Amino acid sequence: MSEQQVATATDKSVFLERLIFNFRPFWVVLFALLTVFLGWHASQVRPEASLTKMIPTNHPFIQNYFEHRDDLASLGNVVRIAVETTDETIFTAEFQKTLQEITDEVFFIPGVDRAGLKSIWTPNVRWSEVTEEGFVGGPVIPDNWDASQQSLEQLRTNVLRSGEVGNLVANNFQSALIYVPLNEVNPDTGEPLDYQAFSEQLEERIRDKYQSDNVKIHITGFAKIIGDLIEGAMQVGLFFLLAIIITLVMLFAYSRCWRSSFAVLSCSIIAVIWQLGIIKLIGSGINPYSMLVPFLVFAIGVSHGVQIINAMSGNRVDGHDRVMSSRLAFRALYIAGLTALVSDAIGFTTLMVIDIEVIQELAIAASIGVAVVVLTNLGLLPIIMSYTGISEGGRKYSERVRNESHPVLTLFERFSQPKWAYSALLVALVGLTWGLVQGQQLKIGDLDAGAPELRPDSRYNLDNKFIVDNYSSSTDIFVVMAKTAPSQCIAYDNLEVMDRFSWHMENTPGVQDVKSVVYVAKMGGFGLNEGNLKWFSLNRNQYVLNANTGRTPPGLINPDCSMAPIIIYLNDHKAETLKTVVSAVDDFNARYQQEGLELLMAAGNSGIEAATNSVIEAAQYKMLLWVYGVVIVLVFITFRSLRTVACIVLPLALTTIMSQGLMATLGIGVKVATLPVIALGVGIGVDYGIYIYAKIKEGLEQGMHLDECYKYALDNTGKAVGFTGLTLAIGVATWIFSPIKFQADMGILLTFMFLWNMLGALILIPALARLFASFGKK
Amino acid sequence: MRRTRVCASAVALVFSCAASAQQTPVVDDYDVIYAPAMVAPEATTAVLTEIDATTERAVAVGDYGVIVTRDKNSSEWQQAEVPTSVFLTSVDFANQDIGWAVGHHGVILKTTDGGLTWQRQLDGFAYIELQISFFETYVNELESRLANDNLDAEQEADLEFMLDEALFQLDNAVFAQEEGPTKPFLDVLALSKDELYVSGAYGALLYSNDGGESWQIHDTRVENPDGFHLNALQSDGEMLYLAGEAGQLFRSDDAGASWDVLDSPYYGSFFGMHVDQQKRLWIYGLRGNIFVSDDQGLSFTQLKLDDPVNINTAIDAPDNGLYFVGNAGVVAYLSATGELQERTHQSGAALTDMVINADGQLTLVGQRGVLSMPSFALTEKE
Repeated sequence: MSEQQVATATDKSVFLERLIFNFRPFWVVLFALLTVFLGWHASQVRPEASLTKMIPTNHPFIQNYFEHRDDLASLGNVVRIAVETTDETIFTAEFQKTLQEITDEVFFIPGVDRAGLKSIWTPNVRWSEVTEEGFVGGPVIPDNWDASQQSLEQLRTNVLRSGEVGNLVANNFQSALIYVPLNEVNPDTGEPLDYQAFSEQLEERIRDKYQSDNVKIHITGFAKIIGDLIEGAMQVGLFFLLAIIITLVMLFAYSRCWRSSFAVLSCSIIAVIWQLGIIKLIGSGINPYSMLVPFLVFAIGVSHGVQIINAMSGNRVDGHDRVMSSRLAFRALYIAGLTALVSDAIGFTTLMVIDIEVIQELAIAASIGVAVVVLTNLGLLPIIMSYTGISEGGRKYSERVRNESHPVLTLFERFSQPKWAYSALLVALVGLTWGLVQGQQLKIGDLDAGAPELRPDSRYNLDNKFIVDNYSSSTDIFVVMAKTAPSQCIAYDNLEVMDRFSWHMENTPGVQDVKSVVYVAKMGGFGLNEGNLKWFSLNRNQYVLNANTGRTPPGLINPDCSMAPIIIYLNDHKAETLKTVVSAVDDFNARYQQEGLELLMAAGNSGIEAATNSVIEAAQYKMLLWVYGVVIVLVFITFRSLRTVACIVLPLALTTIMSQGLMATLGIGVKVATLPVIALGVGIGVDYGIYIYAKIKEGLEQGMHLDECYKYALDNTGKAVGFTGLTLAIGVATWIFSPIKFQADMGILLTFMFLWNMLGALILIPALARLFASFGKK
Repeated sequence: MRRTRVCASAVALVFSCAASAQQTPVVDDYDVIYAPAMVAPEATTAVLTEIDATTERAVAVGDYGVIVTRDKNSSEWQQAEVPTSVFLTSVDFANQDIGWAVGHHGVILKTTDGGLTWQRQLDGFAYIELQISFFETYVNELESRLANDNLDAEQEADLEFMLDEALFQLDNAVFAQEEGPTKPFLDVLALSKDELYVSGAYGALLYSNDGGESWQIHDTRVENPDGFHLNALQSDGEMLYLAGEAGQLFRSDDAGASWDVLDSPYYGSFFGMHVDQQKRLWIYGLRGNIFVSDDQGLSFTQLKLDDPVNINTAIDAPDNGLYFVGNAGVVAYLSATGELQERTHQSGAALTDMVINADGQLTLVGQRGVLSMPSFALTEKE
């Protein structure tokens, strides 16, 4: 390269370019130091799954729940361990020995509330019966237990009398349950319970140790869900490796140059490291939802990096040296790259309108990530490339392909011709109709039974199904808090209204059962009157009521008796069920207004989900409005033409509608995990349209015919758009294999949206342009 | 259920029904006595205490003022219109149209249409007033008798004891004006369309001879100084029987004007009595204890179930046998030849009463509402 060439090139350089390229060693050192610093912080990031972050904390239900959270703690935080025998019955010496051993083992696991631990082998589980002299009873395990046939018979009788069939003993007598309440806070150290550690202990000390051919262990409970979630999230780390390897292969296939492939990969990985380091620095963490962000950042980084090396190898082919090629590539791309990245970032930011912390964290993490990509892949990558350059092989390959028309691109070019354009539009119309029709079935919330976070066939959900099938308990719990003045929670007038409320709820579709201190009081009347069911009622005499509620289990009234939870067991946690329950509670509250008594929604997993659903439902259209509003404004500012806006936005809208159809078809509900996906899909999807239309416009300005314009656009960006779509799709597609259901859902939807948006841009933009052009003529 | 039926029957009513659903009045002084029973799709799952069959239908009563009826030859249950939500404990029909149901909070209900609609005849607050005026009069009477100079020492001591008792009852009733009614009624016996008895907790015994228009308090006619609960009433057409807590057992040969204390075969509580087709008297209660008398309660023979559970009801089987139901899902059958068989309903729930259907199925009521199981004869055939 001659002196003069360099001078010309330098003259046209912009400030930003000079800032970067005139101080290359400085930047390399700075980037290296920052990477070490942020990398150290990134290594401190641990996956966390905090319940509070997954729920809409400002929703009135959640506010009510938080206000009584301490009082409700003992209610919900329980692990159930079912020990199943493959034999006929649990009443064998061998099985009872195992059950006793497991009970003892559980007793010593840190975090267990030992006083509350229950199994037929704990002394707090008793049988009782009414005699002429009053109650008699004793522990279910006979005092003189010797594992003989006689002892076993006695045990069976005691179990039947204890009323524990369906609770601690399965209805079919083939399994027994250990009920394990947990301490939220370790009473010795004051440390909060580490769910993951607890869950691991359960696996090691119970399942691994005692599961055999004859004995099966089933474990459920919130602590186990969280443990399994975090464990599952760890596996996602492996997916990241997989995504890196696949991307590397694709990069090489694209460039045939190891140097540039590794450079792009390294810069994108650096972007991820920075993003993780920064969220750690700002005190945020990574949760199973925002775990998606590193994948997105990586993929976005790669797709923009590809543009740089693409331009560079072109420049090398033109005969520029390494540094100059790099400078020219930067000069040509920084505006387009910045615009696209800014649009991504704004798209993500619209997620902030959803008042759920995990989504907001995801929005922040993604925006930070995109900002970082600007630095690493528009700043660092050209610097690195200016040192390494393109390999000879890569240069030759790009020289060769430059002069060939790729067969796939030739195919896409046809879509600007009328016949192909209208056929494509017709297919799009069919797709639209399908999406609209299917989308009618789209549901809010989680649709599967068990723990919706995990896959229906996950070990946890199979265990859960086992316990639901064999014991009389539902795992979908909606809690209404009956709030009174202190010491009034069992006052007669309040209990009577709560009793009517319970009956009102029992008669609400979807409700299985209702339990509260009212039930305890009525059972107390039944029990304390010689087991005469004609006394199963509340009494106006407060002393009688106090006696009848004397055996209230902890958790059903709070210590100062100002709140009593009313626990409503549901058939399922489908959105309609939850809506029906909420409106039934509202109806009751509108009708019965007892002074000094408030029936407040809501706690329990279903109560929280009801709140989440209502926030999601309200946010759904708000978010779409925002994201499309932003995209439309952005596109309009860039192109100043409504027709262009239509050309770019209509294919995106088609993808959105079709992905709603897909969700309905696959039984994926609109929920915390899937709502952000739409915004991400639209935010990133618009990039393709912008790139392609920019080139079409350029062609039109040069006086080309529409077909020529499109060919010109495809030649220049088509390959990059295709590559970008594929890279993004592959990055998120690995998620489809996540053991966590919502991550898999996110993976499916994002893959679909990235690919479909790419196809939409390549096919529908020219077709729509053709359609509008013909309208224009008429 | 009833409301929907009415709404569906007449198109003209649709709008008024919709309107009435809109304007639900706010209740800020809820009292279970006066709140009409909620229209409940799950009415048959409420705790039910008794079931009685007329020639037209079976009628069961229970928690939340639930009364459900099932017409002869139907398997569908309908919820009756009931002007109270108290826990109902007993139901008895005088004939196919007229019957009574009683419950907690001093509530007595009457039906004149075979159980489809019910009216309140007495509630606990009115019952308290009734008690006050009765015991005031009674105290006055006892005082004037005490004022008589011709009493011997024993008579005087008896009268003083009765006066103490009466004053105690009067005090209780006056206090209850503040607290509200706390004594549940536990059984009702309809002798005819005019005459009926109601017994209850703490020795309550009421009588009406005008179909429930007015009530007389008969507590003091029964020698029950400890105020034990009077759980069951029965009649064999000649004698009236009254049984209760702690082996209390009384008989009247003058239609309830006076009651004699019988020698009780048991010191535990009785929960029910039954007179079979051979006019034998059966009484039963705690811990599987069943007693039968061939001489109108003068002597008893004991029968004991294997399961020591409360026996709540006995009814005649078509083949001269007897069924018993009790707590913990126990159903027992005593054949005419004296063989006793026991089964347990799978629910394990307390059973309080039953009827036998024409098809041989047993309709059971209790803790889990309406349940059913095949009769013992039916399963033996198979």
